[in-house]
Amino acid sequence: MEQAVQIVIGGLLQGSVFALVALGFSLVFRVTGAINLMQGAFCILGALSMYSLGQVFHWPTGLAAAGAAAAVVAVGLIIGAAFFVPGLSRLPVSGMLIMTAGMLTLAEGLALLVWGSQPYALPPFSGEAPVRVLGIRLPTQGFWIAAVTAAVILGLWLLLTRTTAGKALRACAENPVAARLMGIDVPRATLASFVLAALIGGLGGIVVGPITSLQFDTGRFFTIYGFVAVAIGGLGSFVGAVVGGLLLGVVEQVAAGYVSSLFANSLAFGLLLVVLLWRPSGLFASGPQRRTDVRDENRVWPPIVRLRGRSAAVAGIAAVALLAALPLAVNSVPVMSSLVITFILFIGLLGLDLLMGYAGQVSLGQAGFMAIGGYASAILATNHDWSPLAATAAGIVVAVACAVVLSLFTMRLRGHYLALATLAFGLLVDSFTVGLTDLTGGPSGLVGIPSFRIGPYAFDTSERMYYLVLALIVVLVVVLHGGVRSGFGRALQAIRTDQTAAAALGINVARHKLIVLAISAALAALAGSLYAFYFHFLSPEMVGTPRSLEMLAMLVLGGEGTLVGPLLGVAILTLLPTVFQPLAAYKTFATGLLLVLAVRYLPGGIFGTAVDRLRRITGGRGTAPVARVPGTLS
Amino acid sequence: MLEARSLTVGYGNDAVVRGASFIVRPGEIVALIGANGAGKSTLLKAVSGLLPVQSGEIHFDGRRIDRLPSSERVRLGLAQVPEGRQVFAGLSIEDNLTLGAWVHRGADDAEIGRRLDSVYERYPVLRERRGTPAGNLSGGQQQMLAIARGLMSRPRLLMLDEPSLGLSPLLVIEIFRLIKSLRAEGLAILLSEQNARQSLAIADRGYVIESGRIAAEGTGADLLDDPQISERYLGTGRSVDAGNAQPRASLAQRLAPLLET
Repeated sequence: MEQAVQIVIGGLLQGSVFALVALGFSLVFRVTGAINLMQGAFCILGALSMYSLGQVFHWPTGLAAAGAAAAVVAVGLIIGAAFFVPGLSRLPVSGMLIMTAGMLTLAEGLALLVWGSQPYALPPFSGEAPVRVLGIRLPTQGFWIAAVTAAVILGLWLLLTRTTAGKALRACAENPVAARLMGIDVPRATLASFVLAALIGGLGGIVVGPITSLQFDTGRFFTIYGFVAVAIGGLGSFVGAVVGGLLLGVVEQVAAGYVSSLFANSLAFGLLLVVLLWRPSGLFASGPQRRTDVRDENRVWPPIVRLRGRSAAVAGIAAVALLAALPLAVNSVPVMSSLVITFILFIGLLGLDLLMGYAGQVSLGQAGFMAIGGYASAILATNHDWSPLAATAAGIVVAVACAVVLSLFTMRLRGHYLALATLAFGLLVDSFTVGLTDLTGGPSGLVGIPSFRIGPYAFDTSERMYYLVLALIVVLVVVLHGGVRSGFGRALQAIRTDQTAAAALGINVARHKLIVLAISAALAALAGSLYAFYFHFLSPEMVGTPRSLEMLAMLVLGGEGTLVGPLLGVAILTLLPTVFQPLAAYKTFATGLLLVLAVRYLPGGIFGTAVDRLRRITGGRGTAPVARVPGTLS
Repeated sequence: MLEARSLTVGYGNDAVVRGASFIVRPGEIVALIGANGAGKSTLLKAVSGLLPVQSGEIHFDGRRIDRLPSSERVRLGLAQVPEGRQVFAGLSIEDNLTLGAWVHRGADDAEIGRRLDSVYERYPVLRERRGTPAGNLSGGQQQMLAIARGLMSRPRLLMLDEPSLGLSPLLVIEIFRLIKSLRAEGLAILLSEQNARQSLAIADRGYVIESGRIAAEGTGADLLDDPQISERYLGTGRSVDAGNAQPRASLAQRLAPLLET
């Protein structure tokens, strides 16, 4: 009995931070209509700053906490003003998700640069000795957590219901255009809500730090747990955020206490998928909906650009010839190896581009399919003596099967919910690859994977692998290039532009989405398998969520909806750190920064922008002209 | 007091309004009339700062305002009541009104209280229900609230975007009566309306906007008497046959090339 009470209390404490993250989510969502995936990173920035100020610089606890909160506010101000707020006025919902995914990566990169990758522990504010209340041992930190959580909730409530400034925030949330007509500075109000949410997250991290483990990338778990809480409680509902957070904390601690921590992790992500399926609007009705009919709507997807006809064929053949000759010019082993990895990742990106660039379905968990395919084929080939070819095929089948199951959950989801569901999927796969030690080798990875071979011919050198993957890419690009111009491809683009209108045209939206998800899963699985066979080794971080986010950056940087553009993105993010070794430490940071900048300034990516420029120079039309019916009224 | 000089306004690179010039003098009701999509709302948005002007100038009380942010224009005495009312449905009536005086917040709380009182005197129903969410009001009451909210910033020029939209004929009459009474209090009014007959009837002057250009201007009475205008915008002046058959034939002509392919 006592143990049960202890576990529930532990759950409530853990749940407090989820509730605080969820409150931040809801606040930003209410005011801007966007989900800030970076939200959880503020917790980590707060906690790690607290560590540095308190443990390294030996500031007293109160001062260190204030300093850490100030640091979080400063980061929030910079990122909010530089990226988030400007992005809001020009990006569609999916663009904002990518933007905030980039901000999350940026924050993780920043934490990695400052604090490195080792875990940290904060000491409790008031000593280690627990207090006994009614025979139950309570950690003193628990009181701090409860007090801060309560204070934040009360403060937020007072602000929003009792002050004119809070009401102005609510006005921006409901109707930004009318708010501007009142003379309310909407961008400033937006920034204020973003920074306030950052502060709330930071405070959560500071008080919860002592009872949790902290690492540069723990933030994404806070993000996802906070989102699960929000999804349970209802997006935009403050009460829902708090209840959802506490509930999630208790459920998780009970599962961890009585079953296993692997189960607890999976349970949280599983819970999200179930809630999304069963009750997408959450348990608590959120406040009045934003009026979407009165938004300044110039947020549309950039048109798909491509080279036309002969010039595409000529450029393609030239590019293939160049790539085929490239190994002759490269005599560095690491560079050759990076080239192979570039090509392998590009196979996965072809799928991601189909899914996101053409069908408009945001995926933040694409590496999950790489992991499923990679581990399945590696295990079959290593432990069960399957031929690599058959094992790869089996890996693809398993990944496609998982995609079909996932689509049962995600089929009806759009926008934020879809993105978060795919992120949860990726994290679920992560927790299995790490947790199922007997099968996957756990965190240290799977070793002794054989080389890829077809019959007696083994692809056991970088050069051989290079030509194998190059050949595969050429085939895939040619096939997909045809595919996206077919009726199927046009149907995908119709879905991307307007799902409802596409359905009204008689396009079977569900079927098309399922097929495109299956194709992207198959390509990701193929990439995962080749990756494993090439390295003779596969570990969770090679195909985990950071990889998903990195692939997103590669896609956006190279150019969505361009098929070949992402190759540029992969090349930049894979080859540059290899060629300039000192850059390697900055890789996460640079990935995030490039992603954020590309979303903001290069709507068509490098490739799209280059093609557009090229066409202007050669006198052709820039983007596709809008058809005008002769004689129509303007 | 308001002067727009050859304004070109639009979304992105597309201009909706090209080279429009108009003026509003103190204490005057000026009506912008025209068909749906002619550019009336776009002009109002340019004046209130929701849309940037691509070229041209806007002067208010001799001061150039077309580069100022919306909040600054509200502070100078320009207020716009947006199309479709757009009250803050989740906030109470009183909160809506308080936010109307946002630009004067803090400066003089007593003055805001006085304005609130005068609004309540004019619309007792708002006082009775001041604590209820604005979304619970009827359409006509919401329009009243939207106008009252616009008055809270103490404007000297009030811009009304389609105030009669979606209201019953009786309420429309009431809204136009209200607009006249606001002028009587010395307020200048810039009105954008599809309901050309009633708005010209109360307007001192009017501008007819066609495809983003100002096609005609004159006093309200002159425009009402102009046979061309009454034919196009007032639905009279010709026999029913000619009035209806003509546009239909031209529509068919326009569609013909489409149908052939």
